[in-house]
Amino acid sequence: MYVYLYDNFVKNKKFASVVRAIEVRLTDYGIAGKILHLNNYLDAKPIIDDEIKRGAKTVVIVGDDKTFGHVLSRAATCECVFGFLPIGFDNTISEVLGIPVGEESADALARRRKEFLDVGWVNNRYFVSQLHVHPSKIEVIYDERFKASANDRMEVVVCNFKPFYWKKDRKDKEHQVVHPQDGKLEAFLRPLTKKRWWGYKYEDPSIFPFEEMEIIGEKPFTMEADGKMSKEVRVKIKLARQKVEMIVGRDRKF
Amino acid sequence: MLFQKPSPKIALETEEQIEYLAEITPQPDEVETIVGPSVNVEGDFASEGNIVVKGTVTGSVRTSRFLLVEPGAKIVANVRAGSAKISGDVKGNMKIRESLELTSTAKILGDVEVKVLSIEPGALVMGKIAMPGIEGGEVKGSRRTYKRGEGGEESARAE
Repeated sequence: MYVYLYDNFVKNKKFASVVRAIEVRLTDYGIAGKILHLNNYLDAKPIIDDEIKRGAKTVVIVGDDKTFGHVLSRAATCECVFGFLPIGFDNTISEVLGIPVGEESADALARRRKEFLDVGWVNNRYFVSQLHVHPSKIEVIYDERFKASANDRMEVVVCNFKPFYWKKDRKDKEHQVVHPQDGKLEAFLRPLTKKRWWGYKYEDPSIFPFEEMEIIGEKPFTMEADGKMSKEVRVKIKLARQKVEMIVGRDRKF
Repeated sequence: MLFQKPSPKIALETEEQIEYLAEITPQPDEVETIVGPSVNVEGDFASEGNIVVKGTVTGSVRTSRFLLVEPGAKIVANVRAGSAKISGDVKGNMKIRESLELTSTAKILGDVEVKVLSIEPGALVMGKIAMPGIEGGEVKGSRRTYKRGEGGEESARAE
């Protein structure tokens, strides 16, 4: 049995035609199921657990990158297969998973090409897309073997599913693609150096693949994991191997 | 030949096309570690993939693959790598399994053990160089100093 978790923004008139087209296609394939609407304050885990007790085998997330992170950060431990139907404009994870945005995503779901994916573990909860530590005076210890530091402030981005985009200058745009199944998380460190009297300039990023990492700050720093902000002084990030069973597309990037 | 298994080599005609296919085929093991400029790394720095150093590393550096030290980078550590190209400063002993390339901006202060060595004019080396292949060639106190010669050519002097 299939259960579909719709994000709140999907109700918008803009997406009505796409949603209708997807629903028609799902009915054609015979995989239509129960539809539940999520909101920002709802924890997805108890809802999914309830549905699993009622016989749900596949839980499909309908929305964008934010919805994907919101659901899986809580529900990664649920014993079911996850699917993803990307709708909207902020969709970079679907590209990594090889699922086309819009109506064609139903085809990928119907094919049921399953893969086990790694997720990140930070201070007793999961993150699936990206973890971002805003520029601050921090020190990073990798796998308890070596530490990386900068002379001034430093920004850290840990990528799992969501690729990290950065710009050297305004015209430039470089693109990094993350491989979620390579057995490691990838951390991008960008130190900031003082520019003239005021302002800061970003240096070229350092890239470290890792399994375990600790970020220690001189003062409390702001951390954003799957869109959720918090203040931390010490953060431990680990890799949880093959935690989520996911339906992926043929053109996946791993 | 008629009943040969289908392979990309059969479908492609020229060697260029085969090389292009090898380039675009993703290699999952090719994980690259980059130490950017103004980043200081301290400790036992080891990686399974290639390492690119643009900043400073202190402690030890280990990789089974390729190590690239860019101009301006500084390594104060013992280095073990599959092969390496050095354009920055290295202070410590180096053990390279395959080939080592020293460019004109390289400065090495330590002993080097390598199979294949290439030194560009202008590179500075202070230490013992050992290369497998010479039998009984080890001379006591064979410390060699390479320094910049006139016209950019290197000269070797046994101490």
